[in-house]
Amino acid sequence: MKLWDIIKTTNSNLLRNKGRSFLTILAILIGSFTIIMTTGINTGVNGYIDRQMESAGGEGYLEIMTSSVADLAMSSDFMGGGDVKEYNPEKDSSAVQYITNKDIEKMRQVKGVESVKQFNALQAEYITRSSSAKKYAIQVSEMPTNSINIDMASGRIVNLSSDVPEIAIPDKFVSPLGFKNKDEAVGQKVKIAVMNQITQRITEHEVTISGIMNASVVGMGRSWLNTAAGTDLYNAMTAGLPAEYKDQSYFAVAQLESGYTSNEKVQEIKDKFKDMGYTAMTVADEVGMIKSFFDAITTVLTIFGAIALVAASIGIVNTLFMAVQERTREIGLMKAMGLGKGKIFTMFSFEAISLGFWGSAIGIGLAYVARAIANSLASQTFLKDLPGFTLIEFNIISLVTVALIVMFIAFLAGTLPARRASKKDPIEALRYE
Amino acid sequence: MNIIATRGLKKSYGKKSSRFDALKGINLDIKEGESVAIIGKSGSGKSTLMHLLALLDKPTEGKVGINGQISSRLKERKINKLRNREFGFVFQQFFMNSNDTVLNNVVLPLKIAGVSGRERKKRAMEALKTVELDDKARSKARNLSGGQKQRVCIARALVNNPKVIFADEPTGNLDSNTGKRVEDLLFSLNVNNGITLIVVTHDQDLAERCDRQIHIKDGLIESDSNRREKEQASEVALPTNRPSKKTGSLPKKRNVKKGAKQ
Ligand SMILES: Nc1ncnc2c1ncn2[C@@H]1O[C@H](COP(=O)(O)OP(=O)(O)OP(=O)(O)O)[C@@H](O)[C@H]1O
Ligand SMILES: [Mg+2]
Repeated sequence: MKLWDIIKTTNSNLLRNKGRSFLTILAILIGSFTIIMTTGINTGVNGYIDRQMESAGGEGYLEIMTSSVADLAMSSDFMGGGDVKEYNPEKDSSAVQYITNKDIEKMRQVKGVESVKQFNALQAEYITRSSSAKKYAIQVSEMPTNSINIDMASGRIVNLSSDVPEIAIPDKFVSPLGFKNKDEAVGQKVKIAVMNQITQRITEHEVTISGIMNASVVGMGRSWLNTAAGTDLYNAMTAGLPAEYKDQSYFAVAQLESGYTSNEKVQEIKDKFKDMGYTAMTVADEVGMIKSFFDAITTVLTIFGAIALVAASIGIVNTLFMAVQERTREIGLMKAMGLGKGKIFTMFSFEAISLGFWGSAIGIGLAYVARAIANSLASQTFLKDLPGFTLIEFNIISLVTVALIVMFIAFLAGTLPARRASKKDPIEALRYE
Repeated sequence: MNIIATRGLKKSYGKKSSRFDALKGINLDIKEGESVAIIGKSGSGKSTLMHLLALLDKPTEGKVGINGQISSRLKERKINKLRNREFGFVFQQFFMNSNDTVLNNVVLPLKIAGVSGRERKKRAMEALKTVELDDKARSKARNLSGGQKQRVCIARALVNNPKVIFADEPTGNLDSNTGKRVEDLLFSLNVNNGITLIVVTHDQDLAERCDRQIHIKDGLIESDSNRREKEQASEVALPTNRPSKKTGSLPKKRNVKKGAKQ
């Protein structure tokens, strides 16, 4: 029997019991669709993050916290979980170790560190153009370094060494603030309001818009202040607090010397900080955390898809066992007419593979439809401010790989019934009524 | 020349206490072009014998020779090929794919032989013409009458130009008229194409039309009448319903593709 005849026979056999074949294919389809979509999301998200990373810069830039703060953030105790244990003042004290000026001094001694400074947490109340104009909630941070590339729509990023308080705002603020366009906003003055932590009195501080930023995951939509503006706001927030308070912060930011930005050198410096009791993270480390978060989610979804495929392959086994049973006579007849065991096995294996093929092919087709819908919905809603971010991206190689794996699983599932078919004794089979 | 021969053929089913000896030592020589009827009571071992002769089953003891080759020494692949090229089968219950067309049913042995599509169709149509059902080629097999179905099975059995056709109760499910037509067809193949005919039957008339009747009783040959030998011994007149046979002229056109894959 020729291969082509086997394939044709296979497909007409599948059509003999359309309902059953359809249900089996449906089960395979669900599994492969899930896997294709989750890998598509993974590719989309990671691809975007990678592209952002490439353009983000941040060479030699480190964010540093004391290891006790880092551990606290990671520990299960923080969530109230974990076993009851004896109090250990070293580990369990609620007195988190802030970074103080003394720490900063120590960090400055590390070889390769160009500059270190405290990173003050700022909380702005609102942004407005004048005391009588509309107020908008805003998140601001002091720009910690000038080594990070920011994608500017107009103007420039804040000048860290300028004495003039400056701010760079995302483009979404342009029209609410009443500017005709981005270019018109650059150079204009706006007011940022902060609340004093003791008196709860709100004060407005004038800053100059240095530029308008395109939306991006870097910074996640916040506005950046230069050092002058940051210091202004921080002083207003903390006026009246004891000096020790002002001296404390959760983070420090460091810039390494240009000769110390290779991966190995950065790692050495991170290790050094670790020994000193600090945890230092690069931009890549932080992006890595976002990525591993997404990886975890998509892995879980992929596992669901895999479970669906396992269930589907049990369906294949079942379907084919039924087919073998139904076609016992036919198998016997073909064997009597001289069709070899191997060919019978091949016939049923092809039937399994072709179930797998249709399942994954239709799965891929539906995935393309779902991708188009999801991407257009996403770009109109939650990804509106992130141009260049396509939520779901497919690449041909991974699609083909998924299809091949599905077909291989189907083949494996088919071996049991195919073996049974090939072992049928023609006489027994023909006697079968 | 012997096309099939057996020596000391035994077949047992089951083991130990439940062991049943269906055949207890059969010696048989079947010549090319002969028509042989295997007759006997139900359960005597007729079908068992036919299956062994057709290499569908392996004997417990003894040998089957096909064209001078001993079957137990042949590889499975070779045996499959032999069955595909040299044998045709007709069964009492027809055994066809009733949802498929008549043509597709007839084509099956050629498909298995690996004959190409066009050639396949041409030869299947020839075979259907022989059984006078070429006009039904496109019909679904399930829509045929019993007699037509059996003729389709005969077309399928002869489509490969076999040397031997095995028929197990070919008229068992048919009324006497349609049965007669199927019989005529089988004997005309025997006479005109020189195909050896091995028929298992309960039907005395059908058995009478054969050259030779082999009576099986309890797994042994009870009697073996060879009419041709008898004819030569005594010049008895032939029964009128039997097609006359021109001895020595067996027109044959064998066009089984030798290179075609199975
Ligand atoms: N697979 C088997 N297992 C056990 N016994 C079997 C098997 N096949 C056949 N037999 C037995 O062997 C004997 C011969 O069977 P066989 O089918 O050859 O009889 P038969 O002469 O063809 O009968 P019938 O005319 O009813 O078709 C029977 O007694 C049957 O029960
Ligand atoms: Mg029988």
